Amino acid sequence: MIRAHEVVLQRGGRRVLDGIDFELRSGEFVALLGPNGVGKTTLLRACAGFDIPAAGTIDLEGTPVHRLAVAQRARHIAMLSSDEILADELRVRDVVAIGRFPHRPWWKFSPTEEDERAIANAVTATHIEAYLDRIFTHLSSGEQQRVWIAMALAQGAPLLLLDEPTTHLDVRVAHNVLGLLRERTKMGTSVLCVLHDINEAAAVADRIMLLGCGRMLALAPPVEILASPLLDEAYGIAMHRARTADGRIIVVPAPYHPE
Amino acid sequence: MFYRRLLPPLAALLAAGVGLAVGGDALPFSQVVHALANPHARDVAHTILWQLRMPRVLCAALVGSALALAGVQLQGMLRNPLVDPYLIGTSAGAAVAIAVALAFGIGLSFLPALGFLGGLGASLFVAALARRGGGIDATRLILAGVAISALLAASVALLSVLARSISFQLTLQAWLVGSLAGRGWSDLRFAVPYAAVGAIVAIGNIRALDALRIGDVRARGIGLDIERAQWSILGSATLLTAAAVSLAGMVGFVGLIVPHLARRIVGSDARALLPASAFLGAAMAIAADAIARSIIAPRELPLGIVLAFAGIPIFIIIYLRREQRR
Repeated sequence: MIRAHEVVLQRGGRRVLDGIDFELRSGEFVALLGPNGVGKTTLLRACAGFDIPAAGTIDLEGTPVHRLAVAQRARHIAMLSSDEILADELRVRDVVAIGRFPHRPWWKFSPTEEDERAIANAVTATHIEAYLDRIFTHLSSGEQQRVWIAMALAQGAPLLLLDEPTTHLDVRVAHNVLGLLRERTKMGTSVLCVLHDINEAAAVADRIMLLGCGRMLALAPPVEILASPLLDEAYGIAMHRARTADGRIIVVPAPYHPE
Repeated sequence: MFYRRLLPPLAALLAAGVGLAVGGDALPFSQVVHALANPHARDVAHTILWQLRMPRVLCAALVGSALALAGVQLQGMLRNPLVDPYLIGTSAGAAVAIAVALAFGIGLSFLPALGFLGGLGASLFVAALARRGGGIDATRLILAGVAISALLAASVALLSVLARSISFQLTLQAWLVGSLAGRGWSDLRFAVPYAAVGAIVAIGNIRALDALRIGDVRARGIGLDIERAQWSILGSATLLTAAAVSLAGMVGFVGLIVPHLARRIVGSDARALLPASAFLGAAMAIAADAIARSIIAPRELPLGIVLAFAGIPIFIIIYLRREQRR
């Protein structure tokens, strides 16, 4: 699906990540973990073709992503960023429909049958039927996040890049959102997703990519990442591990030690 | 919802009817219809209608719709409701060009073309200052526009202080407050091609304007070429504004308030919003020009002043009051 080779990434002229090498397979869910400022969003943007790597290549089925025409890229990669608020008054239905943008030539203003079908499928998959006619900004954060995901699904891209889709969501809603993404991978969609909760990432992902100290520390199944001392190194704090009744490992930071 | 989309074109049509009927001599409606139906007749009513009022109504329609189309696009692109087409320096550039031309005694018939070029030049300069990477930075555009406009306004004031001639002052003043006095077919022929190109580019921008409603980064994610969209929107807005300024000088408020009114009527879907803004802008400018021509006839009030006195109360009643109730 997407393959990064010896990638070096810069942000504001400063080198943030070095020697990034990975391949994301079809239908795979990879969670991207690492401390704040390590370059998770930078890596996601480079994968989306927004920024060009300072060195190395990121290929989508053999073509460097930044070389693809914008609309063509958007038919293959859906990038959902978290850092913007919506100022305009849009109905939920309209937000989802905007996802069909890369499939429509500029002279066509109304959706085709294929557009309608993709929108309907995205709405069903994300369970947002009940609030299709409401104004987007009147929804709760969890509902809004579902609508964004519906928009990305309507885009019909086989690769989904998501920047912190569970931020501001309560445990149950976050669980549902990730479950919904997990469900999509069964249809061959690949997901690369920035997360902050280590245990949440371990529960949902096939593999975890751990970034720290300016490089990719590991890319391995969750069991290995959680057990590894690299996790402590990446975040720069000691982690405690425990086992749940059903045998899963969970990780929590070591208790505070007031001076 | 759909029938509301018919309101702006109906308002424009109604305003055009009124605009043709009123003026120094109020023509009875039957004569207006008769003159319209017989374009080759040779009576007084016919001459008044075809040589004076028709070009004025069309000029007002062009000015109003061009400014509204420019404003609605810029507001959409910058996601800022305070944006006005003059923000990008077009009007100030035009004013300087006009002031310099008047100071050097260049003939009145060249003023629209000079105003157009001055406006275009200032907008391009502002756009160049606002460049970041391949695209345009919203904050930089607003700051550059305000700064350059202030500098150009100061230059106009300086010229106005230095030039002692009364005719200079009066002609310049007419440009600064916005007026269609004396505009006819030839002025219209000059401005129409530029406005038409601007409007066609605006139609091409509809998709991009819809995509930009979800924010720049997300719009890029769904495949919008942000840089190209920004230049296309800015280019369209500049052409439209320069065409309007070349005809009427600095007609204020239309570009700022009409998009808001149109949004209240048809919603913010660009497919409906752009045509609605154009029709509503035309309606407002035609109606204001009709008042300007007739209220103290045979003298005329400047269009800009009538628009401010008539348009802003309407804006306050429709927009701001409804906002409070919600």
